[in-house]
Amino acid sequence: MSRGTIQVAGIGKEFGPTTVLDRVDLTIDGGSFVTLLGPSGCGKTTLLRLIAGFLEPSRGTIAIDGASMQGVPPRRRPLGMVFQNLALFPHLDVFENVAYGMRIRGLAAAEISGRVSKFLGLVGLTGFERRRIGQLSGGQKQRVALARSLALEPAILLLDEPLSALDLQLRRQLQVELKSIQRQLATTFVFVTHDQEEATMLSDTIVVMNGGHVQQVGTPGEIYRRPASPFVARFVGDINMLDGRIEAIDATSVSVAVGDRRIAVPRASVVGTAATGRACQLACRPESVRLGEAPANALSIEARVSALHRLGPTVKAVLDTPLGPLTALAMADTPHAAELAEGKTVRLAVPSDTFTLFAST
Amino acid sequence: MRSTTSAPKSLGWLLLPALLVLALFLGSVALLLFHAFWVKDGFSLIYFRQILDRADYHEVFLRTVSISSIVAVASAVLAYPIALLLWRLPRWRNLLLVIVLVPWLVSLVVRTYGWLVILGPKGFLNETLKWAGVIQSPLPLIFNDLGVVIGLTHVLMPFAVIATLSVLLQIDNRLEEASESLGAGGFETWRRVVLPLSLPGVFTGLGITFLTSMGAIVTPILLGGIRQKMAGTQIYQEVVYNFNMSKASAWAICLLLLSGLGLALLRMLEAALVPKADR
Repeated sequence: MSRGTIQVAGIGKEFGPTTVLDRVDLTIDGGSFVTLLGPSGCGKTTLLRLIAGFLEPSRGTIAIDGASMQGVPPRRRPLGMVFQNLALFPHLDVFENVAYGMRIRGLAAAEISGRVSKFLGLVGLTGFERRRIGQLSGGQKQRVALARSLALEPAILLLDEPLSALDLQLRRQLQVELKSIQRQLATTFVFVTHDQEEATMLSDTIVVMNGGHVQQVGTPGEIYRRPASPFVARFVGDINMLDGRIEAIDATSVSVAVGDRRIAVPRASVVGTAATGRACQLACRPESVRLGEAPANALSIEARVSALHRLGPTVKAVLDTPLGPLTALAMADTPHAAELAEGKTVRLAVPSDTFTLFAST
Repeated sequence: MRSTTSAPKSLGWLLLPALLVLALFLGSVALLLFHAFWVKDGFSLIYFRQILDRADYHEVFLRTVSISSIVAVASAVLAYPIALLLWRLPRWRNLLLVIVLVPWLVSLVVRTYGWLVILGPKGFLNETLKWAGVIQSPLPLIFNDLGVVIGLTHVLMPFAVIATLSVLLQIDNRLEEASESLGAGGFETWRRVVLPLSLPGVFTGLGITFLTSMGAIVTPILLGGIRQKMAGTQIYQEVVYNFNMSKASAWAICLLLLSGLGLALLRMLEAALVPKADR
């Protein structure tokens, strides 16, 4: 087990009558970049504050590197934290902010200044030592907060939506740097965000949360390709949802009626327990909706283009079909995409193995 | 557009009370200056010279400044833990604040007589100590400078509590969490984060209590000795008993200058001690 492993077992948390987290089990591998992703109110920040020790769980245990954290105050946990509003000390300059934790530990002055230089260098703020916090830009404050929490070389760094206040361009830039710093230090990063794009870009593992539950844990690819619930499918990336009914089940596939069509979905794509006659939902990503003639074993339908968005390299088309609206995403330089126009009728196909079937919803 | 141009015009009369107050204030200051420099029928500096020459008057001003300084520091020191407690107990804050402020609902004279009952030669404290055998003759707790300090500190401390509390309440509690996550315990966090950030409130309290006790009249009259005058009581005496407006005005101007000097020194001390917390 590598340094910085977090084990969360059976965690529940109530604030008064409100249940914020319910039976959360989670293992975060040491040295990985993990994102807690979910809409506001899903409990992700509460989980982070429980790991930090600012809150005590109502039930369950949290262990870091095998040691139980029950009753251990935040200052004795091997972790650093970057706060949403950064919480830099306004009365101290950049150097003293970064040096703060080392001063508390009583490290020698020479070691403190050495480490401050090292970490200010790491975040690209060499030469800013004597600046006041009020003289820094948003991105620079971000870097100071990161350097301050990393200077004690914690096994784990917790980040509570630290980039949410920045404009998009700066945000993208800091995401790249954050990832590269995490790779250099091999510190476990636990990052809270509601931005699925940010989560996808940064993470080794994404933990999707909703309503106080963990919905799915997986790599960004797994979460995108094989969402574990309709919620995850909708929350991460764009998705088309079709209502259907399970007609028949055989050894290799499940037959689903969608409107007047039938489609055989491979059993590997089924989430939940399929039962004949039950309602189900079929999900497919916009890029799985192909324009033109259908390959074998695909849902093929005629559709009318109701809206068209050309997004540079790609084209996004909203299509009216007998089964309901579908969104298609295609590369702009393909012949079919070039011919698209609003109001035009086209033929489209969704290969059956690109569907995810949510049974018993 | 119309509303933005017409609003100031129609609301202009709301300035009237403020102008009235301003006129009264400037008028009385003008009157003060006139009295101070116009003695009998001509320009004179006689009362200023008197203040500069007479050693007993120097003593009064010195006593005023030292009592006020002691009261300011005592108020600040006593108020700080109370403010910290109010800040730390948000549930009880309103109730505790009422308790801190309740003395203000009682007339100043009544409150001051309360101290006579407690601190007087035959007061509660002396009688208790005598009964316990700790002392033989009553301690001189009142009708001297100590009595004035106790009385003024009691009256003025709530100002210091409010000034300190209002600054404490502006401190983002994530700063404490950040300090804690960096390894600091409660005391270290207070010393390194809360104390420096709350000092501006402490200095505001020092300023308010110092200035107010510089001008104190009732408490020094009732709790101070006959001979232990403060500048305020001297001015009171000149106005009410001697009808010497010119002397009272000269004293008032000197008191004002001393207060201003004290405040300027306080500001310099604050600038030296409090790091600029610009955000």
